[in-house]
Amino acid sequence: MKVKILAALAGIALLVHQYMIWFYAPVAQSGPVQKIFYMHLPCSWWSLVSFFVVFVSSLLYLFKREPVYDRVAGAAAELGVLFATLALVTGSVWARAEWGHWWLWDPKLTTALIMWYVYAGYLVLRSTPMGRDRKALVCAVLGIVAFLDVPLVFFAAKLWGSAHPDGLARKGSGMEIRMWQTVFAGLTAFGFMWGAMLLTRAKQLAQHAKLEALLVWDDE
Amino acid sequence: MLRRAYTIAAKDLNLSVSGGQGLVQAVLLGLLLIFLFSLSKPLGGQITAQAAGAIFWLASAFGLVLVFNDLFAIEEANGARIGILSSPAPVHSVWLGKGVAGLSLLLVSQLVFLPATIAFLGQTIHGPWWLLWATLLGADIGLVVIGALLGALSQGQAARESLLSVIVFPLLLPVLLSGITLFGMCFSPEAAEGTDSWLGLIFAFDCLFAGAGLFLFPFVYSGEE
Repeated sequence: MKVKILAALAGIALLVHQYMIWFYAPVAQSGPVQKIFYMHLPCSWWSLVSFFVVFVSSLLYLFKREPVYDRVAGAAAELGVLFATLALVTGSVWARAEWGHWWLWDPKLTTALIMWYVYAGYLVLRSTPMGRDRKALVCAVLGIVAFLDVPLVFFAAKLWGSAHPDGLARKGSGMEIRMWQTVFAGLTAFGFMWGAMLLTRAKQLAQHAKLEALLVWDDE
Repeated sequence: MLRRAYTIAAKDLNLSVSGGQGLVQAVLLGLLLIFLFSLSKPLGGQITAQAAGAIFWLASAFGLVLVFNDLFAIEEANGARIGILSSPAPVHSVWLGKGVAGLSLLLVSQLVFLPATIAFLGQTIHGPWWLLWATLLGADIGLVVIGALLGALSQGQAARESLLSVIVFPLLLPVLLSGITLFGMCFSPEAAEGTDSWLGLIFAFDCLFAGAGLFLFPFVYSGEE
């Protein structure tokens, strides 16, 4: 029921968000290409939230050893990688249109890319053949270590960028109020979608675990 | 705990040096990488100081994976891991012992990589020697605290080298970037600037993951498969 409500809200909010992007928010100085930002930012934001959920669920799993936390961590990591991929692709397209480069040594972009690598590795670990409990345990450990790395990666990328001529810090945005409203509408809409997807995936994983428990292996 | 950590480290070093293949493989692979990257040097041209630093740390990162893979693999046979877990040695001393053994083996392999970088990549050490050694030791501690923790993740896995590389390399980025930049400064004839921020980053990385390793290692080093 919760999923249906969230999905319905997500559908409506996404439609409203699209309307705001194309008809409500003013066109920026750089032209219509700036509108990609309204989808880039929510993807980036919700990917970071996903990674934080992986961290919290992993901690809870280590202390409570309840499989539900492992499933939530797995579902959140999948969503995090998905949203980070979308953020990287939209960011890259936007950078190409705005600055003429597909990739820039921007601390936020670089952090997103490294986090994408880290959590893609986490998903590889989740798919390796291993005992169920052991896998949940080692994934929880990696989920914690991975999130601890985020601030250090950001700081390292910032230091590196400051030492390079192609390092580019984004200047103050100077956005109008209607632009900000569109940004917040996007964050809300993507939030509903993220919630619906997280719950659905966690439920799927619970069903999968239940089926595996019912399965009787017969080698003969 | 320290005495038992020393025992574990001595046992690991003994086994690695006498019959293990991790150190030999790490040294050979690192040398091969440095030599292959030297082929990218244009005829009569030079490899930049920063690129040389990057190649050195890339060789070290691969060496780290091979060293820790070997350190954990030697306990796979004959239920040796279960034996250690059943012994009175606390699990933290295993982590510390593995870390010390890994650090020693990594330093030995880097003592080969450094002259190879200078010879094959045409570098000269211009920068302060203290910076070179401080970077080497600080960054190596960062590498081994992660290696000693996550090396145990892939225990019992068939494709553990590739699994470990995929997991460990992105996590090491802050310490690798610091090592690359500081080694670039040491190889460059220009005066080193902004070293304190990078050394601070290495120190923060070492402290954070040493704490995380101490807390998390007992969860990953277990008798479960």
